[in-house]
Amino acid sequence: MKTFITTVGAVAAMLLAQASPAADEITPEARLAAQHVAVMTCATCHGPQGRSVAPKFPALAGQHPKYLVAQLEAFKSQTRGDADAIGYMWGMASPLSDEMIAALAAYYAAQTPVAGSAGDAGAIARGADIYANGVAAEGIPPCIACHGPGASGTDDYPRLAGQHAQYLLKQLRSFQNNMRNVAVMHGVAQDLKANEMEAVAAYLQSLGSR
Amino acid sequence: MIMRMLKDYCGLWAIAVAALLVAPGAWAVPSFARQTGMACEACHTVFPELNHFGRMFKANAYTVDNLKPVRGVSATREELLALSGLPPISLMVQVSQTSIAKAIPDGVGHFSQSSSVAFPQQISLFYAGKIAPRLGAFIQLTYANNAGTIGIDNTDLRWADNRLLPGDKSLVYGITANNNPTVQDLWNSTPAFGYPYAGSKANVSPIAGTQIDGKLGQSVAGVSLYAIWNEALYGEIGTYRSAKQGVANAVTGGSGPLDGTVSNVIVGGAPYYRIAYEYLWGRHSLSAGLYGATFKLVPGGSSTAPGTLSGPANEFRDTAEDFQYQFIGDRHLFSLAGTHIREKMTLNASYGAGLGADNLHDDLTTTRITGNYYYQRRYGATLGMFSTTGSLDTQLYPAGASPGVVTSASGLPDTKGWMAELNYMPWLNTRITLQDTQYTKFNGGGDNYDGFGRNAGDNNSLYLLVWFNY
Repeated sequence: MKTFITTVGAVAAMLLAQASPAADEITPEARLAAQHVAVMTCATCHGPQGRSVAPKFPALAGQHPKYLVAQLEAFKSQTRGDADAIGYMWGMASPLSDEMIAALAAYYAAQTPVAGSAGDAGAIARGADIYANGVAAEGIPPCIACHGPGASGTDDYPRLAGQHAQYLLKQLRSFQNNMRNVAVMHGVAQDLKANEMEAVAAYLQSLGSR
Repeated sequence: MIMRMLKDYCGLWAIAVAALLVAPGAWAVPSFARQTGMACEACHTVFPELNHFGRMFKANAYTVDNLKPVRGVSATREELLALSGLPPISLMVQVSQTSIAKAIPDGVGHFSQSSSVAFPQQISLFYAGKIAPRLGAFIQLTYANNAGTIGIDNTDLRWADNRLLPGDKSLVYGITANNNPTVQDLWNSTPAFGYPYAGSKANVSPIAGTQIDGKLGQSVAGVSLYAIWNEALYGEIGTYRSAKQGVANAVTGGSGPLDGTVSNVIVGGAPYYRIAYEYLWGRHSLSAGLYGATFKLVPGGSSTAPGTLSGPANEFRDTAEDFQYQFIGDRHLFSLAGTHIREKMTLNASYGAGLGADNLHDDLTTTRITGNYYYQRRYGATLGMFSTTGSLDTQLYPAGASPGVVTSASGLPDTKGWMAELNYMPWLNTRITLQDTQYTKFNGGGDNYDGFGRNAGDNNSLYLLVWFNY
């Protein structure tokens, strides 16, 4: 199991590693332009400062910049192929320059992460168990191995804490159907049962709830 | 009867199929889609019904875009211009055929044809999209074959901004200037963008409708302030003034001010209000709300029989409730929408023998409920009911002379019935609709409603529409 997790981690790190300008390389002009785009365009779905209301759209506040850059580049290059990615983000990301992508990622990364919202206690408890321990009998590794304690993510793996359960569930299904072109998560999600996905999503959404 | 109607349609089906064969293979989408780079389903369940994002896109003044702008800046790099690289232009074409159950009599023993081809029924040119940062427009210019002219259609100019409030709540707020009460609304349960989304112009129209239910469209101009709290609670307050099209001042020949040669002119401003709440959970959304307006209209006159714009006015106080439920699944879409409009009339100007109304106070109530189902956004079915009922008033709803048809022998305005639709959408911007309208009551009666032998069911119709947006 340990080997599997290590391999998963190494492959994922390779996949997610993208050449993007570091936060301190972003010019003040690019910062201002990205803020303008975030307020005028992205906020319609992702909410002001990346705090989305509709559960279909992910909250971006406090997301790790490397992940955001990787996703925007995947939308732009049309390699992230779930239905909402095609319907919404392929078009939105197509004109973004590398500089704008980096600046947008920095803008959202700098926002305070969203507080989660509580849900069904039973599902949350089951989800917490899967998150921390995986499902050994089904060969499903613990999510915590990559996404970290409290699901706050790392430089290489996205923050999941407080994210809308509906969005997470849809992404798990997309990984399962290999529509997001991420081999690691396809491998992890392919054996997850519907009720396991729902439990994990409910748990992640509840993190940080007040 | 049905067989004959279906036979009539064969020609139009051939046209429709031919049109589809020559349609471009690209995912052709209108100007909002071109501007945003998003497909139709980003904003719509199936056009023109908006989903939650579509409502927010509209509330944000149609400004979301992904186009590289033409920029202009001052010496201090203050932004002076951010013009979209492409104008957000779209075209809409509707061609149709209508068969009514019984031909229209002319009163001297002759009858019209029972079916009518409209080619086109309507062509509209839209400017729909961003004008500048925070400023956008939906402007529709329409050629309608019943008028044979091109004129201004629904128009909505908006400015909007957004804020993050304490507690992570969002606030979108803005101003709309528009020419049809409810055209600015975000839900499809209010009249301007409510069901039916398209109807035949060759049908017989009922005698009565409330003012807010489309009667004043394109002849008024209004300004409203609106705000949406946390994408859930919507409030709007505004006022409408008469802004008639195609009329001139009798003395100067200028485009105004309005005078006694124009009818039904709003006195001062007509207040309009709207409040609604939308709840989102999973793939569902449910909204409920209230809207209304009070219109004080002076009867005025016409160019051949001028009247006066001073003196008593007829007051129409419209109050309405509405709701909308949507389920948006990967394969299945379902929506249910309804509205209930009550109009209280105080007819100070028209009350009296020979003046236009028997009663000082009349009521009119309209109810509509419609359910839509779509499978894979391609095959759809719609079922709707409509009902308008009101006070007995033999001057307001007159018996009229032969051949009747559009009159009411009883002096009642009541019209009730059902609509059923089958829809096929080969592409998200192309729709083929077969719409069946069945009346159980028309202009106050079932049988012989006009006193000249016409029954409500004689106005039943079967309508085939081919609708393109590109």
